[in-house]
Amino acid sequence: MDNAAFAYLSAGLGVGITVFGVGTGIGRLAAAALEASSRQPENAGDIRTTMIIGAALIEGVALLAGVICILLAVK
Amino acid sequence: MSNDTTATNHHDGHAPADHTAAAHDAAHGAHAPAEEKGVFKTLMDDNLGDHHELNIFFVHAKVLPVILVDDGMHVYANVDAMEASGEYTMHHHGHGHHIVRAHAEHTEAQPCPLGDPSPSLDLSVTNFVAYEWIAMAICTVLFMIARGRYRANPTAAPKGIQNVLESIVLYVKEQIVAPNVGTTARAHRLMPYILALFFFILTLNLVGLLPGGHAATGALGVTSALALSAFLVVNYIAIKDAGIGSWGKHLLGGAPAFLAPIMVPIEIVSLFTKPFALMIRLFANMTAGHIVLLSLVGLIFFFSQTMGEVVGWGVAPVSVAFSVFIYLLELLVAFLQAYIFSMLTSVFVGLALGEHAHDDHHSHAH
Repeated sequence: MDNAAFAYLSAGLGVGITVFGVGTGIGRLAAAALEASSRQPENAGDIRTTMIIGAALIEGVALLAGVICILLAVK
Repeated sequence: MSNDTTATNHHDGHAPADHTAAAHDAAHGAHAPAEEKGVFKTLMDDNLGDHHELNIFFVHAKVLPVILVDDGMHVYANVDAMEASGEYTMHHHGHGHHIVRAHAEHTEAQPCPLGDPSPSLDLSVTNFVAYEWIAMAICTVLFMIARGRYRANPTAAPKGIQNVLESIVLYVKEQIVAPNVGTTARAHRLMPYILALFFFILTLNLVGLLPGGHAATGALGVTSALALSAFLVVNYIAIKDAGIGSWGKHLLGGAPAFLAPIMVPIEIVSLFTKPFALMIRLFANMTAGHIVLLSLVGLIFFFSQTMGEVVGWGVAPVSVAFSVFIYLLELLVAFLQAYIFSMLTSVFVGLALGEHAHDDHHSHAH
């Protein structure tokens, strides 16, 4: 295997691992938000807003990792 | 993508798969003899890349001016005028096309003798810029209509487009800006900016979802300009309302002074990563959605080329069904990304103000 092959491999694996972590993170976040808003439906609006901000920040990490993987793949 | 007017129909998705593929290869063979591009690759380049001509549906209208900065300004009415001038020419290669300085001895086969022949700066009005102008025009017209109705009849119940805009504006004010930036006065000051962000991004996203349309928010240049404006607004508000001293103190992140060597670099980096994440988030979300849509459509071509036409026709209904599903998801994402961009900008304003968020800017003691 030459260097390019390793770069493609690492890009693919990197995206996979990133998606695993971020999927777990956003899943846990959504589960917690769902639980909280079912316990306190009157706060559902606030909880949803906070959840979206958290999800966006977690997603930001995924996107940074995605950019690194894209750089590896097109190098 | 096309260099001549005969090749304008080459990505017509409604024709039978084999016909389009054949017509496409014929039309495109002239541009990419060295590296044969697949249908899918061309589809991606056409729909995600930028062009120097206005591309709506299958029409590549050469109406956009070309502006190059390269030892002075070179302005041409369109790409044809540029080619006719003999100074620059459109260079087509494996990954698309760009403008290069014209020189006689250069051919597609051999490498360029001048080294890098690109002009030093390409400020052309490209396809994405044109789409931004279209979005601006749509926003302006809609808001002018609504404004006219309020002027003419301020007390009447809103109707039609006025109703839609009023409910969205109120939502942005009460759910996005007001809860995050502290005082009502500051929310009122920020509303024009956040509203412009929200409607501009939303319109760009929705125009990008029209068949044949391009999402300018899927271009890094556009999103980085939006993120830059957010960066400037966040820091301007923070410095103006909380004072430069307080803004500087935020660089410590609330840690004791002896941690400054660690905290200050981290906080300075975080100052830039926030708008950077805004930029990448919008770009990646819009581009990813379009890539998924194109990939699903591309499956039809892939199967009909590798396994025969019958398989291609068999895959088509499944592929189209999935595309419709993803398209509806993209409709949600178009709204969600506009919401998230404006929401996070408001949140960053609140964060940058810190404990000063609830001071009114007229009464602060700095």
